[in-house]
Amino acid sequence: MFVNWQLRELNLKIVYYGPALSGKTTNLEQIHLKVDPKRRGELISLKTHEDRTLYFDFLQIELGKISGLTPKIHLYTVPGQTYYEASRKIVLRGADGVVFVADSASNRIRANVESWQNLKTHLASFDLSVDTMPAIVQFNKRDLPSAVSTAILKSTLRLTNQPTFEAVAMEGKGVSETLKAIINGVVKQVQQEINK
Amino acid sequence: MQSLYRLRSGLTILPSHQQEIDQLLSKLVQQLPARFVLLTDVTGQLISARGEQNKIDLVALGSLVAGDLAASQEISRLIGEHNDYQLVLREGATSNTFICESGSYLAMMVQVSNEVPMGWARMMIQDTAQKLTTILDKKPEKAETVPAEMEKVLQEENLTDLFDSELDSLWS
Repeated sequence: MFVNWQLRELNLKIVYYGPALSGKTTNLEQIHLKVDPKRRGELISLKTHEDRTLYFDFLQIELGKISGLTPKIHLYTVPGQTYYEASRKIVLRGADGVVFVADSASNRIRANVESWQNLKTHLASFDLSVDTMPAIVQFNKRDLPSAVSTAILKSTLRLTNQPTFEAVAMEGKGVSETLKAIINGVVKQVQQEINK
Repeated sequence: MQSLYRLRSGLTILPSHQQEIDQLLSKLVQQLPARFVLLTDVTGQLISARGEQNKIDLVALGSLVAGDLAASQEISRLIGEHNDYQLVLREGATSNTFICESGSYLAMMVQVSNEVPMGWARMMIQDTAQKLTTILDKKPEKAETVPAEMEKVLQEENLTDLFDSELDSLWS
């Protein structure tokens, strides 16, 4: 979080995390597509020649003033492929909230679990945890014939109290709901910190 | 109540900080001389920009500068060569671009004509980076407090509803 009192700005950083090809970039592409261009910046994507995320995707959205304060939300994705381990940790630095995008396909359960554990390990290195910071889990690709039930996904990830959302990000379903939920979580966390 | 001066993981820029930062960056642009200077926090959130901005997307550039510096820091850590105020240089056809860390919180990008001697540029940029860290370490003067109305906004009970309403209006 970064507060600029001179400019009356509240800047928040949200990171979309998850296994390779689970739909993190698609979430940002849908937000970019559907948000009024006056309220969002360009979608920056650092990709490989094969169109896979190499480092991160970035998109800023700007909300209308709330009692004179302008909230600016910075959305990042991490590269999902296993060998971009170091890059994922870098992108997580300074995150105020995390969206974990899980793949509902039955053959991706193990990849989800590994990525979820990997997220927890990286957060721990910053003295953070999915149990104490705002964290949302999105079950993406619910339209797949091989999609496993959300109950199985929840139990394999061993989720504790994280809110979950079903999505078909390619069609924009569940994208705005997920974004709203994580921003709400972050706002509540900011208030709790201030009132400590 | 916790001070709003610096929250757990975030950075707070008070008006006095911003004025000092802007002055310092303007001085760097003038004295180096630099074509353009951009300052972000280490997560890529734009703090200030000075010099020839033309039509550059400063927000996008800020995210890339911070990402670039973070990657360079990690590379130097892995090869055991990390120093404070480390500097990354890119040599261009007409200008050189320096990206420099400034303490734990800030990343600065400076674009300089390649007619400016490299050693002079390096010295001036690293000197400015050190001065920037001392600005943020200063406690605010007594007369300067966080604007009361801003503090009130962040404590509003229905703040999440207000955010919800703004988020709903985003979608076309």
